[in-house]
Amino acid sequence: MQPPRLHWMRGRQEEGPGVHRTLEWIGRDDAGEAIARVVRVLGPVWTGWRSYRAVALDEDAKVIELRPTTPPDGAGWLACIGGQVVGRATVPLQAVRAAEAALGGD
Amino acid sequence: MPVTPLDKIRNIGITAHIDAGKTTTTERILYYTGMSHRIGEVHDGNTTTDYMEQERERGITITSAAVTCEWHDHRINIIDTPGHIDFNIEVNRSLRVLDGAIFIIEGVAGVQPQSETNWRLADRYNVPRIIFINKLDRTGADFFRAFATLKEKLDIIALPLQLPIGIEDKFLGVVDLVEMKSIIWEGGELGARYHDEPIPADLAEQAKEYRQLLLDTALSVDDAAMEEYFDKGDVEVATLKRCVKAGTISGAFRPVLCGTAFKNKGVQPLLDAVIDYLPSPIDVPGISIAAGEGEEDGDRSDRRRIKADPNAPFAGLAFKIINDKYGTLTFVRVYAGTLKSGDTVMNTTREHRERIGRMFQMHADKRAEIKEVVAGDIAAFVGLKDTGTGDTLASQQDPVVLERMAFPVPVIDISVEPRTKEAVEKMSLGLQKLAAEDPSLRLRTDQETGQTILSGMGELHLEIIIDRLRREYNVDANIGAPQVAYRETISRPHTEIYTHKKQTGGSGQYAEVKIAFEPLPRNEGVVFENKVVGGSVPREYIPAVEKGIKVQAETGVLAGFPTVDFKYTLLDGKYHDVDSSSLAFEIAAKSCFRDGMKKAAPIILEPVMDVEVTTPSDHVGDVVGDLNRRRGIIQNQESAGSTIIVRAHVPLKEMFGYISDLRSMTKGRASFTMQFHHYDPVPRNIADEIMAKSA
Repeated sequence: MQPPRLHWMRGRQEEGPGVHRTLEWIGRDDAGEAIARVVRVLGPVWTGWRSYRAVALDEDAKVIELRPTTPPDGAGWLACIGGQVVGRATVPLQAVRAAEAALGGD
Repeated sequence: MPVTPLDKIRNIGITAHIDAGKTTTTERILYYTGMSHRIGEVHDGNTTTDYMEQERERGITITSAAVTCEWHDHRINIIDTPGHIDFNIEVNRSLRVLDGAIFIIEGVAGVQPQSETNWRLADRYNVPRIIFINKLDRTGADFFRAFATLKEKLDIIALPLQLPIGIEDKFLGVVDLVEMKSIIWEGGELGARYHDEPIPADLAEQAKEYRQLLLDTALSVDDAAMEEYFDKGDVEVATLKRCVKAGTISGAFRPVLCGTAFKNKGVQPLLDAVIDYLPSPIDVPGISIAAGEGEEDGDRSDRRRIKADPNAPFAGLAFKIINDKYGTLTFVRVYAGTLKSGDTVMNTTREHRERIGRMFQMHADKRAEIKEVVAGDIAAFVGLKDTGTGDTLASQQDPVVLERMAFPVPVIDISVEPRTKEAVEKMSLGLQKLAAEDPSLRLRTDQETGQTILSGMGELHLEIIIDRLRREYNVDANIGAPQVAYRETISRPHTEIYTHKKQTGGSGQYAEVKIAFEPLPRNEGVVFENKVVGGSVPREYIPAVEKGIKVQAETGVLAGFPTVDFKYTLLDGKYHDVDSSSLAFEIAAKSCFRDGMKKAAPIILEPVMDVEVTTPSDHVGDVVGDLNRRRGIIQNQESAGSTIIVRAHVPLKEMFGYISDLRSMTKGRASFTMQFHHYDPVPRNIADEIMAKSA
């Protein structure tokens, strides 16, 4: 099995009573720079009468994706490079592979 | 029996559609674990768990049977359940008390109707489960097609842990995707010998692809496992197993294994999977206590749970009653505490004490006496006087009531009378005992004819009951033609006032009630509300009003069928200081019901069944045409290899004797299953027919 090319580590966590889940995995290069992220789509977030699925990327909770619909086929993980969504997956490892594939060849 | 640590106990059920291989698999499990010294076969009528005469004669499982075995230092208590919908109470009661289940899916047909019904039952009780795709030796078997039906029909994330090596008569063994090796069964010795080999070269690519799918899905439940994967590009077997277990228990995904129990391949890894992935009594959150007033049973997230602790106050659930020549055996799942023979407990459901006589470990129809039971055990008690299926037994220091069991509602009635007058009492006693064993069987007396009416889940169910009445209680009974369990309801609101007045010389009777009747949506039952103010109906007479309505509702106003799905609100009334009484108000309420409901546009409801017919494609036209003539509404048709599966909703009234007609029009090549789906109003002409018959 080919090991991932980036160094992936846990990012933001969701904490709460009985809740402890990772919302984000960050892929860093050998120099430690964050190159890619795999983030869990959260929601629904309500604004007025509409609900959205949202993704917050960093400590400032900057929203990079706001969609009015539930992710298709439960694809609740986004693979992101920079500010761009390059893939979606139902599980984080598949999103990690999508992110690495987008970086160029797999 | 030596005490097994709680973490090494597995209480599991084996469930599936008819003939998928449950009993055959159980028989192999007993053989490979050394509990039996030969393998019985269903078609030979000599399996361990099909011990009833009728089971052996018919080649079907009728009642659930509990057996125990040991595998790799673990004790596995197994309940083998029937596949026929007629005996669904057995699946219901078993899934209720077990910690995990093996779902067997046929490798040819994939997910079938009763698989779906039982799956939903397991969802209802949150039972962790693993799936075994069986019969891969059969012609037409296709692991991947059967696997695809898991997503299509059950909408689950199925996690393959194995792939088949060979198929049909060339099925040799499995690829184990967890340890990345092959397991090959050697011929002879009834499958007891098998060995590991490297994965065949022609399956290497496919194994790699499915291994990645396994890792992607399983590791998603455990961040530490993900980190191990990122570090090494793979994970240790122990890590992967830990993740699969966590996901199985949480329901995040369902592991899938495969084999052919009849050809003795695949069962030993299935046993390993039971130990590795299904929970022990301490791995599950514990059973909830019963819903309180105004709560639904499913809404259990905040309710207290009883943990598996041998030192906690005793709590157990009676889930099965058997009457045999030795007396009454009550099967109990022990959730907490320790109990010895001779101890006294509370039946907190019926609010009385019970003294435990002797206790037994059951193995199908054989019993071994034990002196003590602890949390996690399943055992049978003798000596309980008044404890029924679904009752809670608890210690007096913590008299909890555990979450109730839901019983299926019967859809077919037959009248039953003994052939001789002398057998009347014997028949009554026999039927009461059979009904005590089987909550899906109901007994009542027709008020007009005085006949005993038996209600059950289907023709097969009632046929077996009548047969048991003959074999076990020596009563030959005449039975009437099966009748549909119609219901009545109303379709518009109406308010009625009734005054009951009688003067016959001495003290008279007086009661006036004003009751509003309104229809409710299907399956809402009968609801009562009291809105009397100012004491116009004294409080002590309110229960009599309720009783009057309930009793009268048992025989509705159109054709004498139970009235359902309506609300009655007591709005007002009048009473007399001397002449009013509970009896007067009960009579007033009954008459108010009779008069009022007639003006509320009453209608008759009939049970509509979900029918699934599997037929060769050259007969599908006949089958569909016939279902249409039976007032059926075709839901869909799909092909499965060379057969077509037709699904339709058909009124039960039109389905009596269907099996003979189906065999006749398809030269015996088609089969069908049916189960209750919903109640619908009957068409006008049929309602007239029903009312004329009852007049």
